[in-house]
Amino acid sequence: MPTRRTLDEINAKIRTQTAVVETAEAFKQRVAQSSVGEALAAVDVVTTGTFEPMESSGAILNIGHTDPPIKIRDCRLDGVPAYAGFGAVDLYLGASQPADSGNPGDNVPMRDRGGGHVIADLVAGKAVQLQATGHVTDCYPRGKLDTTISRETINQFYLFNPRNLYQNFIVGVNGGDRPLATYLGPLQPNLGNAVYANSGALSPLMNDPHLNVVGIGSRIFLGGGIGYVAWEGTQHFPLQKRLPNDTPIGPAATVALIGDAKQMQPQWVRGCYFKGYGPSLMLGIGMAIPLLNEEIARHCSVQDKDLVAPVMDFSIPRRVRPTFGLVSYAQLKSGRLTLNGQTVRTAPLASIYLSRQVAAELKDWITQGQFELTAPVAPLARDRAFLAQDTWNPQGGLS
Amino acid sequence: MKKRVTLTFPKKTVHQPITYRLAKDFNVAANIIRAQVAPNQVGKLVVELSGDIDQLEDAIAWLQENDISISQASREILIDEAACVHCGLCTGVCPTGALSLDPETFQLTFARSRCIVCEQCIPSCPVEAISTNL
Repeated sequence: MPTRRTLDEINAKIRTQTAVVETAEAFKQRVAQSSVGEALAAVDVVTTGTFEPMESSGAILNIGHTDPPIKIRDCRLDGVPAYAGFGAVDLYLGASQPADSGNPGDNVPMRDRGGGHVIADLVAGKAVQLQATGHVTDCYPRGKLDTTISRETINQFYLFNPRNLYQNFIVGVNGGDRPLATYLGPLQPNLGNAVYANSGALSPLMNDPHLNVVGIGSRIFLGGGIGYVAWEGTQHFPLQKRLPNDTPIGPAATVALIGDAKQMQPQWVRGCYFKGYGPSLMLGIGMAIPLLNEEIARHCSVQDKDLVAPVMDFSIPRRVRPTFGLVSYAQLKSGRLTLNGQTVRTAPLASIYLSRQVAAELKDWITQGQFELTAPVAPLARDRAFLAQDTWNPQGGLS
Repeated sequence: MKKRVTLTFPKKTVHQPITYRLAKDFNVAANIIRAQVAPNQVGKLVVELSGDIDQLEDAIAWLQENDISISQASREILIDEAACVHCGLCTGVCPTGALSLDPETFQLTFARSRCIVCEQCIPSCPVEAISTNL
């Protein structure tokens, strides 16, 4: 009779600090040395983690009302424009929003900074300059505001990230003859290097391919604090083709995440900048998987050799790029792969070193009884199509 | 023996076939690691000179006589350990494998002796953890 356990049983064990928790890598080793059934019987929870740039992230801030009050129309945080089209002093700061180059005529060079850096500075407790102009009304007579804020001086500061934790991604190469500056970093011409962006078998959603465990309301490790799955992520594509082990062969499911940035820790929230492309935010995110039954345990047992990603040629800047076929994460992590008979160096963009630390830290939280697992309040969509935006031609439909 | 030096040429010496003279007159092999040379401009050359110790010294003296300034404190790549997130992006652009990820821990390792200071890693780093000391 295979082991089955309920989430309540696991949480009861977590409260008494008797739950057996293993990182995804340790669990996979255990399965390889015994069997899924034996590993399932021995372990209650598996922790996964990743640390990678996630540009579809951002922060909601409520800065508090000034006297006289202002209805912010236009706002810069440390020179980075923030969206102000909500309530009077509500702002949304996008991670990939570049800093302004300064006032026209100032001759200030473009800074390699953006929203991700400002979010990271606020998380680190630094003061950030805020410059705003107001929409003057009878309720909000103030026209200008120039001040500094920090996370201690504002009401709300939480991340709300429309797309995080991509379940698998692509591998970028450049088959052209000039260097390319991409969101995967520099791609050198003539297949000079290949960049992969997923931590593979350690990556959260690779261990729950059909989203049996994660859903709306799932509690997670987000930037060193506690966060939740808020919704499906943008470009959520669970219908991606899959291998017999249920993992997708390319970009698939995504989640939208939310979490209090005031609790987050600077080591897990880092601004970053890709030369010639733009700013982004590197985040440490961890997810705990309760081993409720054998199917969940089997999904957690996949290894890098069982996971694949497509190699895409970025020298053709079209929506559908030519591909060199699929390559395994074991191959990618070996540092070399062969394309067209040519040896190509591979480099990750996700920090595998820090991804492991996220999984280990989440394991510690659970072992010490500080983090209980949640059942989803609603499932994530499993049949979402991936639509493209094609130009509408009024005479003849899609062109 | 080997010596890595940075040569700075005044405009008037740029036309000289330096590496030929080093080889022909002093039997010194000059392995060019980095070069920035153009007509009518100050030129810069980072070279690894290898040859007999006496001949190396003679060669360096000859270079100095020709108004070529020599700096033995060569440029080095520095990694800011506190800023580095060990993403490994730089390892894909490093032509000599001086920057690599440890196959076990996936921590960034830097083998200074293999670095040719090509500086391709500097713009590749998304967290500005790599710089030069000059």
